[in-house]
This record gives sequence, C-alpha cells and structure tokens, in this order.
Amino acid sequence: MIKVRIPTPLRPLTKGQGEVESAAANIVDMIGSLDATYPGLKNRLCDEKGDLRRFVNIYVNEEDIRFLNGKDTSLKDGDEVSIVPAIAGG
Amino acid sequence: MPDLSIPQHILDQIVSHARELAPFECCGLLAGVNKTVTHLYRITNIVAVEGAEKLSTFDDDKVAHLERLSPEERAEIAFVMDMQDFSAAKKDIRKNGLDLQVVYHSHPKDPARPSHTDIKIATDYEEIWQRINLPIPAYLLVSLMHSPAADIRTYWITGGAVRPADVHIV
Repeated sequence: MIKVRIPTPLRPLTKGQGEVESAAANIVDMIGSLDATYPGLKNRLCDEKGDLRRFVNIYVNEEDIRFLNGKDTSLKDGDEVSIVPAIAGG
Repeated sequence: MPDLSIPQHILDQIVSHARELAPFECCGLLAGVNKTVTHLYRITNIVAVEGAEKLSTFDDDKVAHLERLSPEERAEIAFVMDMQDFSAAKKDIRKNGLDLQVVYHSHPKDPARPSHTDIKIATDYEEIWQRINLPIPAYLLVSLMHSPAADIRTYWITGGAVRPADVHIV
C-alpha cells in the first residue's frame, strides 16, 4: 500500500484523516481512486484539463512529481505521497 | 550568535522586488549555509499575476487548499506562491548544498509583522516542512507603508506564536 499524507486544509474532505492509503499504480490513478472515496479531492488538486494546479505540489518520497514523470509518475508498495499546498499569506 | 546573518545586498534585492510588485505583494525564499543567507529566489505570486480584480472574487478552487480559513481570512490572502517556482528553487537549493532559511513577502500598505492569516498558514505549514525535507524557515516581512523607507523584520512562527528573529545584517 501507499501512504498518502493529506494537509490540514484538505482534511475536511477526508473525514479528518491526515493519512490515507491507496493501492494505485500511478499518481493519476491515485487521485482518481481517492476522489471516488473522498469526492471533491480531485477538483482541489487538478484543473479542468486534469493538470496539477499551480498552488499544489505532490511529492513522492520527497521528490516533486514535476521532476519525476508528472501525473504518470508510477507508485510502488511502500511509497509515501505528500500533498503540499502553496505557501500563502496576507 | 544571531539566528541568521543576511547581507545588505540581499535585503536591497527584497526591497526592489517589493517595489516592483507594489501594490501587489511579492514573495520569495532565502537560502544559505551556516545561518548565513547567500541566495535569493523570487517566487511568482499567483495573485499578482492574475490581477487585482481577482482578489475580491478569489474562487473556491483557488483557495481550496485554505479551506479552514474563514471568509474574512480568505479575503485577506494577498500572496500564493507558484509551487512550480517553489519546486525549482528547492531543487536549486539542494543542488548547491544550501539550506532553506527564510520565506519572505511584502506588505505594501501594512506594517512589517505577520497578519492573522500569515500566522495561521505558517502554523499549518509547520508539519509540512519536515515532510519535504526542509527546516522550518524564518519569516521575513518588508513593509512599504512608509515609502520611500522600507521596514524589514524577521520572525519565527511556531505553534501559532510569533517571536522576533535575531538577524545580523552583514
């Protein structure tokens, strides 16, 4: 299984869970399957074309998927995925 | 021993960045070694790029990652870092053997101290830094409210509390 860490602001969508599990083989499938369980999550992460929004990063084992294979980055058992929101402020 | 040493020319670059983007806020990162800043990375502020009219109608998707904020707090959001820029900077920081030390942003019309929203988001972010293998940075604010003078102050924000950082200008 793959551990997916959910940042505090998105936890209302995951029923308060800071960590969920996925058996997906890549990032696209992971987002799809998480969205099936936690509706609305995909819309938070991807734009209408399905591309990752500019104010979100996804890291696989501390490496940004933009420097791996993007949405097609493959996942294997034991990987840790972190969803990271943009640094922001007022 | 100060918390951080920042060269004057880096501070000058931050003020230039702030002036270029006013009335929008600028944002960026400082990195270095042994508590001494050596590099500045400008990061695109998505809010500044998308224009002032978007500020009041910042749609739900754009602030979705900030869902915990109240409508008033969301309205206060004036900078959102472009995470593509952030990742490129993070990669360069690692490649050069540097540490992330400071997150900076400007307050064109407000004092150089963290806003309520700044503190809330920085507190949410505390657990994220270690997850992406970065230390918790200091937060530097530059105020242009008494322009042409610029007021620069640096803080630590942990557990929702703010305390001034001891910065030595070199």
